[in-house]
Amino acid sequence: MTPHPSTTDREALIECCSVWKLYGDRAEALAARYGQNISTEILKETGTISAARDVTFDVRKGEIFVIMGLSGSGKSTILRCMTGLIEPTLGSLKVAGTDLKTASYEEMIEIRRHKMGMVFQDFALLPHLTVLDNIAFPLRVQGISKTLRHSKAREMMDLVGLSGRGNHWPHELSGGQQQRVGIARSLMTEPEIWFLDEPFSALDPIIRTEMQNEFLRLQNLLQKSIVFVTHDFDEAVRLADRIAIMEGGCVVQIGTPEELITRPATPYVTEFTKNIPRSKVVRVRTVMGPANKGLLIEPVSADALVGDIAQRVLSYRDPVPVTDEDGQIIGTIDAPKVAAVLMNKEAET
Amino acid sequence: MTDVAAQNRLRQSSQSTNALILSMSILFAALVWLLTDHGNWLRYYPENWEWNIASKITQAIKYLVNDAAINGITLSEVTRSFADVLEIPMLALQGILSEGFTFYHANGEITFIPSMPWPAVVFGLTVFAWWAGGRRVAAVSFITLTYFLIFDLWEPAMLTLSSVVIAVLVSFVLGLLLGVWGYRSARANAVLVPVYDVMQTIPTFSYLVPVLLLFGFNPVAAMIATVIYAMPPMARVTTLALQRVPTNISDFGTMGGCNRRQKMWLVMVPAARQNLLIGLNQVIMLTFAMVIIASVIGAGGLGGKVYQGLKSLKIGDAVEAGIAITLLAIALDQISRAIAVRRPNHVHGNAKSFWERHVLVAATLVFTLAACFLTWVFPALQTYPDRLTISTGSFWNDGILWISDTFYPQIKAVRETLIGYVMRPVKTFLLSVPWTGFVAVVSAVSFIIGGTRLALMSLGLLCFIAITGYWEGAMVSLYLVGLSVIVTLILALPIGVWAGLNDTADRIVTPVIDTLQTMPSFVYLIPVVMLVGVGEFAGLIAIVAYSLPPGIRYAKQGIRNIAASSVEVADMSGCTARQKLWHVQLPLALPDFMLGINQTIMFAFSMLVITALVGTRGLEHDTLVAISKVQPGEGIIAGLGIAFLSIITDRLIGQAGRNMQHRVKRNIR
Repeated sequence: MTPHPSTTDREALIECCSVWKLYGDRAEALAARYGQNISTEILKETGTISAARDVTFDVRKGEIFVIMGLSGSGKSTILRCMTGLIEPTLGSLKVAGTDLKTASYEEMIEIRRHKMGMVFQDFALLPHLTVLDNIAFPLRVQGISKTLRHSKAREMMDLVGLSGRGNHWPHELSGGQQQRVGIARSLMTEPEIWFLDEPFSALDPIIRTEMQNEFLRLQNLLQKSIVFVTHDFDEAVRLADRIAIMEGGCVVQIGTPEELITRPATPYVTEFTKNIPRSKVVRVRTVMGPANKGLLIEPVSADALVGDIAQRVLSYRDPVPVTDEDGQIIGTIDAPKVAAVLMNKEAET
Repeated sequence: MTDVAAQNRLRQSSQSTNALILSMSILFAALVWLLTDHGNWLRYYPENWEWNIASKITQAIKYLVNDAAINGITLSEVTRSFADVLEIPMLALQGILSEGFTFYHANGEITFIPSMPWPAVVFGLTVFAWWAGGRRVAAVSFITLTYFLIFDLWEPAMLTLSSVVIAVLVSFVLGLLLGVWGYRSARANAVLVPVYDVMQTIPTFSYLVPVLLLFGFNPVAAMIATVIYAMPPMARVTTLALQRVPTNISDFGTMGGCNRRQKMWLVMVPAARQNLLIGLNQVIMLTFAMVIIASVIGAGGLGGKVYQGLKSLKIGDAVEAGIAITLLAIALDQISRAIAVRRPNHVHGNAKSFWERHVLVAATLVFTLAACFLTWVFPALQTYPDRLTISTGSFWNDGILWISDTFYPQIKAVRETLIGYVMRPVKTFLLSVPWTGFVAVVSAVSFIIGGTRLALMSLGLLCFIAITGYWEGAMVSLYLVGLSVIVTLILALPIGVWAGLNDTADRIVTPVIDTLQTMPSFVYLIPVVMLVGVGEFAGLIAIVAYSLPPGIRYAKQGIRNIAASSVEVADMSGCTARQKLWHVQLPLALPDFMLGINQTIMFAFSMLVITALVGTRGLEHDTLVAISKVQPGEGIIAGLGIAFLSIITDRLIGQAGRNMQHRVKRNIR
């Protein structure tokens, strides 16, 4: 399910560079005076709260970038900075080639009408509109005719599995269905960048899993560039190409799920990763041993998840050869290594 | 440890300062009272020190309205043409409902277009009520309209309905726009909110005079006064409702690519519509509260009937029209409330053809056309025949006579006891307390409850009353309100607590207070005057009757709001019912009780104003006299006096309640 984590070389669609967001009476004055050099002591003395501190990352074309953190970690602040809903105190933000700081009111409206879509935590459906009108709303504010926007909205409803519900009112739908409406609505303008702010947090566990699958299915189809915010590390691992972990307004670590689990940067990251089944995250390439010519067993792919090939490896006494994309043998993997991953132990690399 | 000790010491020392300040101010009051004679300025505010601002305002306004002219056009000419414009929709509606339209042509011919036949009006409004709220609401509307017909009140009722509908629409739209403005601009809101505060606390009679001068003595002037009264709550509700729209919805508006106007009118306002409709419901109720008051400046209609009936002591007429107003208020309240809680259902949206979707409109149209044709054959369908009307006027008059004859000794005994042993002594006491002493004690209490700011506010507002020469009137008002509130609380708290503890009691009490609260305040005066005649005793009873429902409601809420776990703790500790009540339920309900006391006082003040019509003598009397003498200045200053008294009590009780809540919280922690 998890897409191939090789988006490193693609172009950046969002460039978030040393972004700070300060709250307090003197926030602006402090930013003007100290710039990027604001120290924790100064913030403390002046009673200024830093919701985001020196946050830097890129979001690349076609990747699912997950921002994960507990409440108060600043993940929503950063998301709202990227969408222009709030203005960062310091730093620069470039979204789809536009510098948000210098963008005019009209430019922002244009970007939001054509380049961004957003899904909200508690759905944010308009209670006075039917499902169909909710989904068609973004086209309505663009002045598109009723027939056209309704026919597009119907297509979108089919895509997200809401066929035949157009005349329903939001309050008549279950939570999962309501979020499908939210998803459909956010995709109506065919945005390049898709923002999802804890979209599944308000749902029950089973529905949540179902919606995550639905999300991955849609992404396979549409290939958007995605910023996904969540407080649930399991969800982050399931969906992400890359994860940024935030704590106290700072980005603690950015990496693929596998990198976070095999090489956590701080004890804080370890806390999250230690309960994640490594077999579902760690790839063969990470734990394989040196290549050993002369094995006749059918090889496994270096990019396969250990969990997926565990049974095969465990059924042989000998190590199994590992091949890269081109079919070249680049290493071997044996039962003890697989067992260690299955038992959630650190790999001795 | 030392921190806590220091804090305790600090609290103790501030407590002893408070006690010192209070006792000093009381001592001062007592000394002035005992040691000075009547001529002393400390005792009575000297007349030649009075600041004659009231009459100056009167002169200024009269000059502005009548004499100041730009290009030969006076202000009153401008305002009266404005009123003419407002009159058009009202006359149109009235014409459709009952009066018909008369056109005078240049050649002396007259064309008359008749109104909708009354069966069509009854049918249309009942169907509308049914659409809004189902069978029950439709029944209420039907009964109300039939009542108008049977009691020969059709035309005044339709006049009242038209002016109420237009006033409600204007208040709603104006309030919505002001509320949106207040939401968008924090600076505008900072100016608007205090203005609303004054508009809502100043007695309505005060601005009736300026309205009278500007717009004349007619239904439109009354409508404008109504809008002034009913609009501020709508504006407040709108700002609040918009602020309460979930941030996600507001963010979605931005992310969906709306510009500012689209975001406000396509996202924010619709998302807040439920609360806005509750605001509309409030506007309707406040408009009805003004129906009778506004008849003082020529509203006519049902309100005028009640006012005339009261003035000429034709109790029967007043009762019939009063019931009509109450019925109309209940019907519109239920319709608007039903619309506010309506939630659409997808099944409704599926019908395809226009006529299928609007079957009710179609039915009404067909019915109206049929009725119009039938009026040619049966003229009784156009104008409800007088033969079929009844009047219970003599019944009420006889009934009242019978009651007051039969129970004369009892009523007299109660009345004389209360007047002789309670009311008169309290009044004499308040009137003879030296004004300086009174100001000192109230300021001291304000300081203890709310610190320097509150003390300065009380001091300033009370001195304003003294300086403008309305001290005596203020004391009379205060005495009436104070006594009424005490009587109200003695009745309301036990009833409320009882209803809070006992479900059966609740089932009896709640519908009764619900109905009492939908009745316009004026209606309370009618039975009271019938039984005890005019005077301060009647005023007291009317105030008590009017402020009882909110007192009961809050007392009940106080008991009901207590967390179930607290009550369970008491049960599990083996408390008896009495111990539970005194040690757990009453203390925890105290903050709600304070809120209830505050509401009771505010209701008492708003009723006080109206009791001027039955002969009470305080500031409210001055505002009423100002109307008959057309003295806007006097009306406004006396009205401000009442507003200030109510603002002081509101802030004092409110702050005391908050202090108490802090204490409860601290103890729990």
